[in-house]
Amino acid sequence: MKHLMRTFALPTLLLAAAPAMAHNPMCECEELASGQVKCTGGFSDGSGAPGVTLDVIGYDEQVLVGGKLGEDSTLTFKRPDGEFYVLFDAGPGHVVEVDYADIPQP
Amino acid sequence: MSRAQTLTASPLKQAWLKWRFHLNILLILIPLGFMPKYFADAKLFRGEAGLGANIVRDIQVGPYSLDLAEMRDQEPQADGPAGFFKVFNAALCKACIQDVKATYLRIGKPRSLRAAGTIFFGAPYNMSTSLPIPPRTSPDAQIWITVEGWDGSMHQASVPLAQASPATVAWLKKQGGKK
Repeated sequence: MKHLMRTFALPTLLLAAAPAMAHNPMCECEELASGQVKCTGGFSDGSGAPGVTLDVIGYDEQVLVGGKLGEDSTLTFKRPDGEFYVLFDAGPGHVVEVDYADIPQP
Repeated sequence: MSRAQTLTASPLKQAWLKWRFHLNILLILIPLGFMPKYFADAKLFRGEAGLGANIVRDIQVGPYSLDLAEMRDQEPQADGPAGFFKVFNAALCKACIQDVKATYLRIGKPRSLRAAGTIFFGAPYNMSTSLPIPPRTSPDAQIWITVEGWDGSMHQASVPLAQASPATVAWLKKQGGKK
């Protein structure tokens, strides 16, 4: 046991000193077959974003769908007509915009 | 079999046992090789090496003004599934520090204050933010600076991306429409 600990002490210490990771916000949206759009939010360090605000806003700045991400960090809503964008809002300066043109249709 | 006999090892083994102690010296020499980079980074992060590369001075944003620079003169760096990012630094003018609540940076004109882009953080003399660079950004894009004052006012100004970060524009042209 002691021998094993000695063997792995250095590699473990080296791995423990991994550089601090940034956590940039990210948001991906895809259209489901039923005309619904599913958006998934999160952060680039791998953490999810349950409870974070996600609004669907028209080009005229009218909020079409206002919601919060569920426990699985996703929100599904009906695709609005016309031009819109999805705003993942984790606080001032921590937002991601997804334009309707960037939401792939099935 | 006597004990003395088992201790006679090959010459190679003997040399190893005799000299392995001196590997310690290597442990001191290896870090020395990394020192210049370490000190250069420390200088950059403390702001002693200036604001960064390609400094754009005295950008007038409403009643305020600021200096903008990219952290390093290099192409955007990938951050996993979140996409590509570029770190920018900014310094507010000394007279505006008291009045400015927040400074934001975004590629293209913001749609609203809520979507003003990434927020600058840190000391007002040397603030930083990492700006997401969408791979489909046009090389002649502008980066927009939004300044929010404590009085509730909002002011905007723009700088050509080609001026603020030539390396990013070169990167955009190189991968032109691949994504």
